[in-house]
Amino acid sequence: MNRRSFFKITAATGAMIAISPTLSGTRLYASETTLYTAYERVQLTDAEGAPLKASALKKEVNYIFNYPHVGTPTMLLDVCDPTYKDIKLSAEDGTQYLWKSGVGKNRSIVAYSAICSHQLAHPSPADSFIQYVPKGQVSMVAEKGGMIVCSSHLSAFDPCKGARCTAGPATEPLASVVLEIDENDHIWAVGVLGPDKFHDYFGAFKPEMKEYYESARKAKKLVEESAITVTLNEYSKEIIQY
Amino acid sequence: MKKLLLITLLAFLPVGASQKQNILAEDMRTMLSAMEAIQKGGFYNCTSCMEEGVMQLKKGLGSIKSIDAKSFLPEHEAYAYKFAQKQAKMIEMYANDLIDSLKRGDMQEAQNDYSLILQQCTSCHLRIRQQ
Repeated sequence: MNRRSFFKITAATGAMIAISPTLSGTRLYASETTLYTAYERVQLTDAEGAPLKASALKKEVNYIFNYPHVGTPTMLLDVCDPTYKDIKLSAEDGTQYLWKSGVGKNRSIVAYSAICSHQLAHPSPADSFIQYVPKGQVSMVAEKGGMIVCSSHLSAFDPCKGARCTAGPATEPLASVVLEIDENDHIWAVGVLGPDKFHDYFGAFKPEMKEYYESARKAKKLVEESAITVTLNEYSKEIIQY
Repeated sequence: MKKLLLITLLAFLPVGASQKQNILAEDMRTMLSAMEAIQKGGFYNCTSCMEEGVMQLKKGLGSIKSIDAKSFLPEHEAYAYKFAQKQAKMIEMYANDLIDSLKRGDMQEAQNDYSLILQQCTSCHLRIRQQ
């Protein structure tokens, strides 16, 4: 390869990534110290494959879709009226990032990785120890509800403040899945903000991945084009909440 | 066999909380000794010792899965028995994977399974025993 070809290829690749950051698929540290990983832009659909509409989401219902990997559950919620804005959050290693807000007309729609940042509890087809507890419903760590509660070790996260940890042994927020809503009111997942636990999760639950996704390799595959979204009651056989 | 009968009986008869607790404690001791056997097997590269330990460990899981611990857990921890049952399922899953790893001759993965089992044990102890 001569020097001219090298510069051409480098310039073309740079331009492509500038146009669509999701092409890079890498971790991006923006100047305002955000911690962000761009993934495939994926449309959320219902079980029949029809695009999910933001306005059709039921308030305070736990929805689950797998993103960005085939085996990583994400929680979708329409809960806040509206969410707070520009919340500064910190990862365990001290890296700070900025959670901008929820999306939708009322900025009330949010999505978070449903893998607990403490010891990786997550919804599986068999059961779920983590879920959003509606306002007014009592739990052991959130007396007034309105929180995402992990009943494994009793941690609570505030969905209206970027899933900041408000109680329990967890020391980091849940990773946030960045959403976009297009002009047709359709919902898209585009990336993950904050400290995700995917690497540890795949290491710790290898046998479970084999059970539900045939192999860990298949579970690690990135979701492409669309992600089926169902309620937590449909996703997990048993929901355990204290 | 006797133990199996006893556990089945306990599930149907109104047995005292302390009796249930004793059976659970005995199984915990069995599991502790099983974990020591697996670890020792790992240190000495003894596959059969590890397999034996896994079998012993799986026997010890019986009462966690079947005994309703609500009756003797402190009130604020009463529902944590569900968590214990989940940990027992996870231990069983890792134990089966450990056997598969040994069959493949993958000692490193077997050791990894062992550490994941240990993590489930300590996780449950931290949550329920809190000591």
